[in-house]
Amino acid sequence: MNFEITFTPEQQEFQIRVRDWLKRNMPKGIEHPADPANLTRGGYEKQRELGHRLALEGWLYPTYPKEFGGGGLSPNEALIIEMELEKYDQILPPYYDSGGKLAAASIMVWGTQEQKSIFLPQILKGEVRTWQLLTEPEAGSDLANIQTTAIKNGNKYTVNGQKIYVGSSHGAEWSWMLANTDPGGKRHGNLSWFIVPMDLPGITWAPMDLIFAGNENGALSGFKNTVYFADVQIPTENLIGGENNGWQVADTHLEIEHGLMQGSLLGDHNLRRTLNACRKLKKRGNPLIADPSIQEILAELYIDSEVTRLFHIRIHWLRSSGQKISYQGPQAYLQMKRQALRAAKHTQDILGPYALVMDDKLSPEDGFIEVQQRGSIVAQHPGGTVEIQKLIMSRKLGLGKPSMKYGSKH
Amino acid sequence: MVANTSSMDLSLTETQEMLRSTIRSLVSQEFPTQTLLDMDSKKNPFTTASWNKLTSSGWTSLLIPEIYGGEGGSLTDSAILFQELGRGPVPGPHFSSSVLGTLILLEIGSEDQKAQLLPELAAGKEIIGLAHTESEYDHEIVGMAASETHDCYILNGTKLFVQDVLGTTQLIITALLQPNKLGLFLVNSSTYGLEIQELDGWSTGVSNVHLNHVKIPKSSLLGTETSNGWVELFAAVERALPVLCAYQIGSCEAVFDMTVKYANKRHQFGVPIGKFQRVQDHIISQINYLDAATLSTYEALWKLDEGKETAKSSVHLAKALTSEAHYQICNASHEVHAGLGIMREYGLTLHTKLSRTLYHYFGDPKYHKTQLIRSLNL
Repeated sequence: MNFEITFTPEQQEFQIRVRDWLKRNMPKGIEHPADPANLTRGGYEKQRELGHRLALEGWLYPTYPKEFGGGGLSPNEALIIEMELEKYDQILPPYYDSGGKLAAASIMVWGTQEQKSIFLPQILKGEVRTWQLLTEPEAGSDLANIQTTAIKNGNKYTVNGQKIYVGSSHGAEWSWMLANTDPGGKRHGNLSWFIVPMDLPGITWAPMDLIFAGNENGALSGFKNTVYFADVQIPTENLIGGENNGWQVADTHLEIEHGLMQGSLLGDHNLRRTLNACRKLKKRGNPLIADPSIQEILAELYIDSEVTRLFHIRIHWLRSSGQKISYQGPQAYLQMKRQALRAAKHTQDILGPYALVMDDKLSPEDGFIEVQQRGSIVAQHPGGTVEIQKLIMSRKLGLGKPSMKYGSKH
Repeated sequence: MVANTSSMDLSLTETQEMLRSTIRSLVSQEFPTQTLLDMDSKKNPFTTASWNKLTSSGWTSLLIPEIYGGEGGSLTDSAILFQELGRGPVPGPHFSSSVLGTLILLEIGSEDQKAQLLPELAAGKEIIGLAHTESEYDHEIVGMAASETHDCYILNGTKLFVQDVLGTTQLIITALLQPNKLGLFLVNSSTYGLEIQELDGWSTGVSNVHLNHVKIPKSSLLGTETSNGWVELFAAVERALPVLCAYQIGSCEAVFDMTVKYANKRHQFGVPIGKFQRVQDHIISQINYLDAATLSTYEALWKLDEGKETAKSSVHLAKALTSEAHYQICNASHEVHAGLGIMREYGLTLHTKLSRTLYHYFGDPKYHKTQLIRSLNL
């Protein structure tokens, strides 16, 4: 056994190349605000610029095939890129592009050759940023209950409806949307996926007022929007995976959403920041970090962080060695969500009101700790609630299926 | 059958029931969610108008003895009032003035000071707050010293994370007179050199109070020659805490009601989500926390009102349980509401933010657990 992620000599050279390249290519003044809601338009444009530059090297979506705009690289090489980006507080992609991640994965599996060659390069080369449009007022945990309709009408689909908890600030070129293509049809047999250019007539959106916008595994989102569709015309070529086959397509990519969190291998930011605060803040003359009762809470934070790391080490190993990921994906996702919530409480137990304040002088770690307090609550829901993660895990573990003979449809 | 006056009875008196229902309807009428959201977002911050809505009927005088123009009510009466305010949750210096400030004055004030101030507080004309904690956020420590000249005291420094001082007319500011003697100074909130700085973040009603060479007359020192300061302050805090707990419990109740209602109304997978055991688990944990907090708080109030010797440990038990309950009940509600709960307009986050703010106010659960064990003399 070997728990260390080891790099071959070639990969070590690659790491040096990435490091040097980033020194030369990191846009000046790239932003990393504690609250992503404060990302300026200029800051967003710099993230996109970095995306373009990375894509020219095949490093934006490194593990995708070269022929579609990816880098054709291994999970280890992708990890190396993320490790080096981490030093600049950036990740892959450097902007919120969760729709792109999911759409690309689904198009790889379900797209026609033509769709792959048209849509994939634009996502993988960072020419477009894609929002995911899944959740609706009546379709949260019960995603199959999508009410937004896409009705075929010659060589177009006419789309009407509303999506919530969408995207980020500063707009998007595309969205990746699930819609109901057969309103009278069978549950799980009436949904379809579309790539939707966001500049089509009839699409409007407005920001939601949330305590934090959250993220779905990737760059943080500054805002979430409500997106409205009024008689929007989508070409039939933009349907991915076949009409009414949306549930099968969703299965492919929700698995991706629930399993790939490379970032967790790079260290626990909240733990690092809490430790920093404990070194600086004092109680009765001593730094907090020297207080045994605080060390006890720090141990809890550290243990939780280690469990998250180990779960992700295993996923990285399974992926790198081409093995199947089963319950381990939702398990790691569940652990991260729960860790965030526990960490918020532990951090407040340690720092008291300092954990809650957003103030130039008083906030430890530039306000990142206050943002984590709000963010940890929000983190419980995107990409499926905690209950949904448990449900997926239970299915993967075969719970409630006493014998194969009576096996369920899923 | 004649009820035995000494038999156990956990119900409220008829008068208390009336007080509860009157305030409940007043709070829902005068402080609908939108009003509370506007107050929270500072679009329409706490004003004298919102103060008057609650005080015109004389509730500010509840804890003040009749000889000072008050109603001479019990702590339990006050808790019933504050539990209803917590259901809003109605923000503002209600607790800091009508409970904490009032009890501090009753504990430490000289006869003259009480005779002068308490009728004003009873009438709701003066609103007071307490500026006590400093950079370590430890209410057992004060570093600021009061320097004395021939005709006045001078205060310099900052009181950090002060709760509910906006809207006050006077502040009780603590500063050391001697290493073991604490001065409690009553200072006009608009005194020259005193600056209130509201703090942003994931908390409610928190400010810094900056004191830049603030000169105050000697008469503003509360108490008499024999006052110790610490002793009277902590005696008042001990009596005030269960009323604060009641305010938190009201917030817990509102969150619980909101959660049950939503679990029954919201349909997913063709049924109300309240049918799912995982959702039920969250709600069951809420009611368990809520009942533990409520019973321990009202037992503590009863002990204080009856002058029972074991009141002290009950107060620590109640605050430890209630802060934890408030925090966890809000978390459980977020689990049930998922995306809806994080939308500001829904109103749940007003409670969540409050649960975080009051979690460590006058001691977090860890502090009260330590004090509990000490007070039990095990």
